[in-house]
Amino acid sequence: MNLFAALETLIDRPETLAGEARPEGLGRTGLLGYFAGTLGLFVCLRMFSAVPPGIMSFSVVLLLVLAANFFLAASMHLFMDFTGVKGSAARLFLAFGCSDYFLALLVPLAFFIKLEVLNGFFCFCLCFLAVIYTRVRLVLRLYPVSLNKALLSLWLPYAGLCAVSFVACVYSIAWLVWLVI
Amino acid sequence: MEEQNNSGAVNPEAQSKPPAQPVPAAAPRGAVPWLKLIAGLYALSLIAAFFVINKADAARRNRPKDMDISKLTGLIQSKKDAVAVIPLYGVISQGSSSRSWENGSQQIAKRIKTLAAKKEVKAIVLDINSPGGTVGAVQEIYSAVLKARAETKKPFIARFGEVSASGGYYVAAACDQIMAHPGTITGSIGVIFSVSNFEGLMKKVGYRNEAIKSGKFKDIGSATREMTPEERKLLQGLIDDSYEQFVKAVSDGRKMSIDQVKLLADGRIYSGRQAKEIGLVDSLGDLQDAIDQAGELAKIGKNPRVLSDSDPFENLMSLVDSKLSLFGTKSVVEAIDLAPSLEYRWYGR
Repeated sequence: MNLFAALETLIDRPETLAGEARPEGLGRTGLLGYFAGTLGLFVCLRMFSAVPPGIMSFSVVLLLVLAANFFLAASMHLFMDFTGVKGSAARLFLAFGCSDYFLALLVPLAFFIKLEVLNGFFCFCLCFLAVIYTRVRLVLRLYPVSLNKALLSLWLPYAGLCAVSFVACVYSIAWLVWLVI
Repeated sequence: MEEQNNSGAVNPEAQSKPPAQPVPAAAPRGAVPWLKLIAGLYALSLIAAFFVINKADAARRNRPKDMDISKLTGLIQSKKDAVAVIPLYGVISQGSSSRSWENGSQQIAKRIKTLAAKKEVKAIVLDINSPGGTVGAVQEIYSAVLKARAETKKPFIARFGEVSASGGYYVAAACDQIMAHPGTITGSIGVIFSVSNFEGLMKKVGYRNEAIKSGKFKDIGSATREMTPEERKLLQGLIDDSYEQFVKAVSDGRKMSIDQVKLLADGRIYSGRQAKEIGLVDSLGDLQDAIDQAGELAKIGKNPRVLSDSDPFENLMSLVDSKLSLFGTKSVVEAIDLAPSLEYRWYGR
């Protein structure tokens, strides 16, 4: 199935996501979404020399994005499963890929940032909010849950990561003190 | 009645018509053209972005365009070429642990070895500000410098700060060149073995120490009794031997005869300028001069890139260690540590 047709189906008839059969072309569209989104992010960062050039550098960013989204989708699905809501983790992961198309917006926005027409932080926030909003809508389509629960499940992995980082930080400080004394 | 009749009566018109077909839902407006347009715009912006990135990279690569000779030599040399600066501050000792952030002789020797082995390091500056230290620790660093020089053939420059006497000078003798401030305190070539005697004090407080020993010299250097003439003779022999080693190191490093060195090596200190006059120092200057000199010896030009061996983790640990040691008794123990030790050290500070 054509990529554009698959995207059109997702936009016009999002209910097909939760259908019996997986929407045709979702796999390719999702993965290409990750690629396009990461390319947008990478090119934007390269324009500000924030990342080193080269294929390896891009591959590292892409792998990082894929791994992070895989973790997010897995933990969200786990949360849904624990709370008795049924759905598909693979479709969630691929749907997240489709939401990443919004990160491609960063490329044109980078020109405006360069020209100091727009604020860089504002542009990044705008794109990430668009991604998060889309993800909430997609979660609502994929799982029969309320808006609040969809929001909670989306933020939960981030909150978990923050908590783990905080605990690790506290532990490392305690370890440093123990090591020195 | 009428309603009943209506409902019950069969409408001949309705019977003749075919059943109404469900009205098809309005077909959704195609998003494909819009998506194609967005994809096209994205591709255009990507091309423009690559163009901008290439321009920026090219501009960065061709930045040094003025005709300054030192900049031209900078273009020829590899971007990574650097001079490493290794600090050697304070009393030189073995250190109480093998923690990598401590400044014991073994850690400094390891740093010398590691930095000398790095490909981008073309020369090494030892930034010395030390009154010396224990014989073993000083010789460990000296040996590390000699080995690194022999293995890598990279130039080593010793730079003296406020004080670089005795053991500090011993280490510097292993370097290719020595640079000092005119007012640097240096020299003090010699060995010292100091023993405290608390016998009188112990008698006053009623403390008595008994030593059961396997040989008559087993408690040599004991602080609880007077030193015997035999012990003094033995210790003098030890000191003379260490002194000969020091003199030989200076003789080898400074390309002077043993007799020439011995004339200067009666333990006296010299200013940097005096040391230059008698050949213990090659030139006068500050740290930047020493770095420039190292760059020139390594053929990477003046004002080279300076590579510090500072590891962020080690710096943090060193800071935490020093802050925490203020609450402990470490500094007090070190201050009252009167255990005898053989030292290349100047006690004038």
